[in-house]
Formats: sequence, C-alpha cells, structure tokens
Amino acid sequence: MNERVIAVVTAGLTTPSSSRLLADQLSAAVADELSGRGISSRIETIEVRDHAHDLTNNLLTGFPSAELREVLETVEAADALIVVSPTFSASYSGLFKMFFDVLDDQALAGKPVLLAATGGTERHSLVLDFALRPLFAYLKALPVPTGVYAASTDWGPNAAGLRPRITQAAGELVAALHHETPTKSDPFTNPTPFEDLLNS
Amino acid sequence: MQFGVFSVGDVTEDPTTGVTPTEGERIKAMVAIALKAEEVGLDVFAQGEHHNPPFVPSSPTTQLGFIAAQTSKIILSTSTTLITTNDPVKIAEDYAMLQHLADGRVDLMMGRGNTGPVYPWFGQDIRNGIALAVENYALLRRLWREDVVDWEGKFRTPLQGFTATPRPLDGVPPFVWHGSIRSPEIAEQAAYYGDGFFHNNIFWPISHTKQMIELYRRRFEHYGHGAADQAIVGVGGQVFMRKNSQDAVREFRPYFDNAPVYGHGPSLEDFTRETPLTVGSPQEVIERTLSFREHFGDYQRQLFLMDHAGLPLKTVLEQLDILGEEVVPVLRKEFAALKPAHVPDAPTHASLKAAAERARQLETIDEPAVVAEPTAEESTR
Repeated sequence: MNERVIAVVTAGLTTPSSSRLLADQLSAAVADELSGRGISSRIETIEVRDHAHDLTNNLLTGFPSAELREVLETVEAADALIVVSPTFSASYSGLFKMFFDVLDDQALAGKPVLLAATGGTERHSLVLDFALRPLFAYLKALPVPTGVYAASTDWGPNAAGLRPRITQAAGELVAALHHETPTKSDPFTNPTPFEDLLNS
Repeated sequence: MQFGVFSVGDVTEDPTTGVTPTEGERIKAMVAIALKAEEVGLDVFAQGEHHNPPFVPSSPTTQLGFIAAQTSKIILSTSTTLITTNDPVKIAEDYAMLQHLADGRVDLMMGRGNTGPVYPWFGQDIRNGIALAVENYALLRRLWREDVVDWEGKFRTPLQGFTATPRPLDGVPPFVWHGSIRSPEIAEQAAYYGDGFFHNNIFWPISHTKQMIELYRRRFEHYGHGAADQAIVGVGGQVFMRKNSQDAVREFRPYFDNAPVYGHGPSLEDFTRETPLTVGSPQEVIERTLSFREHFGDYQRQLFLMDHAGLPLKTVLEQLDILGEEVVPVLRKEFAALKPAHVPDAPTHASLKAAAERARQLETIDEPAVVAEPTAEESTR
C-alpha cells in the first residue's frame, strides 16, 4: 500500500548516455527521499530509444504495439514521473517529443513531474523552462519548480554543483506526491447517456 | 449471417507495376467488384463516401443505383455515409430513392469522417463531429418516419411542414448501422436507437474493437431493445489469400508496405499479429475469422476489405472467387452452427416490413404496441 511508483522516461541515444546517468541519479535521490519518509518506491525506467520504431509505427497506424502499450500504461499508472531529454537544436529531442505525442493527452493530468535535460554546454540550460515546461503545462502535469540541467562539465569539475540541484528537485517531487491526482472517468465504463448527447 | 465486401475507393498506384488507374477505371472496377460479389454468392456490397483525392466515390447513390440495376440479390450498403457533412434531408431522399430502385436491397452505415479539411468544405467544423452525428441522425430518422416534419436544430436551417420524397419503400426506412473505431458516443447512439453497430476492425488491435462492441451490447440491453447478445453487430476484416501461405505473403507484401494509412510503418508480420489482417491460405482466413466470434460474440455481418492499396482488378476478382468459393461457404456453416436460436440475423427490408405489418395488426386488435426489432425467424438472411 505504502509504495510509490516512479516512472522515468529518458531519451538519450548512446550507451551509456549522460541522460541515463542523470535519470539514474534523479531516481536514486527520489527513492532516498521517499525512504527517509518511510515510503518504499518502485522505479520503472524507460529508455525511449528502445521503442523508437514502435513510436514511429504508432504515429503511422494510430495505435501502439502491445509492447509500447505496456510502456505507456506504466507511465500513466505511475505516481510521479521523471523525464530527461538531451538538448537537440535548442529543444528536447524529436524522439523525446514523439513519446509524449503518442501518450494520451490526459495521461499526465495532475501528475507530478521532475523535468531534466542534458546538453553539451550550460548555455542551453533554459531548455528546461522554454521547451520542457510548456510541454508539460499543456499536458496538465504538475512540473516541480526546480528542473535539473546537466552539461558536460557537471559530470567532471562541477559535479559537486549538480548534487544539491538533484536533491532539491527530488525533494520537491516527493513533496508534490501528496497532491491528489484527479480520478478519470472511463467512457467505456460510464458512457455519457444518449439523452445528454441529444440535449447538449 | 451476412458476408460481403466493403470498398474505400482509393486510387492508388500499383507499387509492383507503377500503374495508376484513372478515376474512370477505378469507378468501373468498383462496379465490377460489386457484380462479382453477387456472382460468388456474397450478401453485401458496401462502399465508402469521400470528397477528396485519391478517393473516387463522392456520389454513392449514383454508383449503388447503377449496381442495383445490374444485380438482383446483393444488399447495397455504405461504409460509410457521412452523417456529419451531408445534409440529412439529402441523405433521407437519396437513400429512399435508392430503396425504391433496388427493391429494398439497401441499408446504410453512418460515419463521421476523419478528414479534417472536408468539414469546412461543407460548412462544418470537425470539432462538432459527435454533435453533428447526433443531431443530423435524429433528424434523418424523423424524415424517414414522419410524413410532415417541423424541425429546428443547431446545424441546419429549420424545416416547416417538410416532406422528404420519395417516402421510404413500403413505409419502412432502411436499416442503419453506426460505424465508429473509437468513439463510445457512437456505440451509445447505436444502442439507444436499437440500430446496428459496425466496427471496421482493420487498423486497430482486436481489444479496441471488443471494447466498443461490449459497450454497444451492454447499452443496447439497457435501452430495452433485447438482451446484449441480441444486439446487431457487424465487423470488418482484411485478407489476402493464395493456396500457399508463403505465396500470399510474397505477393501482398509490396502492397502492404506502400499502402495508404499504414504503409512505411510496421512490418506485415507485426501488423498481422497486432490487427485482424490475415495474409495466408483460405484455411488461415477461415480460422482467423471464426476466432472473431470469441471476442465479439455471435454477430450478424462480416465485411472484408479486398480492393485497396493499388491491387489490380484482376487480382481482386481472383480474391473474390476464393472468398466466395472456399471461405464464405465454410464460415456460413460454422457460424450458423454456433449461433443460438435467440440471436437474430441482421434485419433486411423483408424482415423490417414483416415486423412493421405485425405491429400494425397488433395496434388494430389491441393497444398501441411498441415496434420491436425483428426476431430471428423473421430475418431471412
């Protein structure tokens, strides 16, 4: 009962990728924060790269493959989300965006989200607030105030500077978990009665 | 159970030859397919309605009327009639006219159309798709059932003392199916009126189709038209057959890979696994189609998509021969053996006419009775 499920969506392309590295540090920090409050956690990490073909197929056919459907359902069912995109051409990557394009646009409503991005230089750090934040605002998610951006230097000389940002953001995500997520009505279980459709 | 074919009417290049039929050739090919369907013993020919290239059938009743003149048994239907962008007055008149010409061999499948730009060409907005389907169909029903209609709604000019002509053949409106891939509102609409529900069952996993049909059946019972398993269900399917499974796959693959809608996406193997598409031997098609019943219950109409993606007419006619000779006779027998007696067949003009006459007789003898959908023994096919 007292377990929280955190879905992690990371869109790095290489192995190992700095996006995955950041994703792992963020999810570990969130798990620590939760366990500090006596709450256990399950981390479900999704490498978007593994589903690149299925995502394209979903755009073309209009439905997800069985495997992708499972992944989308994992994200929808999670208590909170951590997302990490590499910065491509001053924004999130196309592959990252495709994942959220095929996800139902109500799937993230009311869900706390920790925004994170990686890039080659600190000069792209506003990608968090100028690209990711509007996307998740549109999806009616609840992005926490602190986003985490990691440039190449954050993995070397500035590593000590990254740590407190991760801790801060993880704390905010766990605090946001107390939000009640709105319950969604399933139109197949509770269809709108036809008289209402006729009279609307 | 009824078996038939439904045609989208796309003009698509044959990827194996680079040949694209002219619009005229494609229109005549659709006619040839309809005549072949009757010849090989199928029950239904249904065609789409489109108002944008690469599709040709913008005027279904012209084409179906032409086919009606050259056939005598097959039911002519649509897949689908655009209830959103057509004027319901024109639908009422066009299809009543067709009913008379075809001696009642007519039913319709309503659909909304998913091509955004089409709506404004007809003065509408795709965001009103559901509302248009609801209001227009409510008017269409009245136009067929009431001789003089006063009406006012949101989407068309009001009617005062209007009579749609001709009146439906024998005073019996054509049976209506409502087609929808993913909108629960349309399953609800079909259930409310006790009309048929059709799922094209082509582009989506079977679990989606099942969810829609289950909703329709449950609500059909809720609205008092009969038990859930007596609701009138139709589904689509898509097949390509050769005697040897491998030959079917080899021949169909280039058409699949370049097909409109799903081409250049998933592999043929992925798509046949994820959706009801079956490419293989007639026996494989029989087995797959019989398996639909396990998901959807006993249903009344099975249509196959046979002529699309640039398949040449000659190939399509060969496919219809296989369908009519080797597949449908087996399916007919197997489905009939499995169907319980209380599950009705799809209504036809004859069965609806008989039901209406019986209701009239009851009315003169007794108190006014509610007209029920026909029971199994009244449906003739």
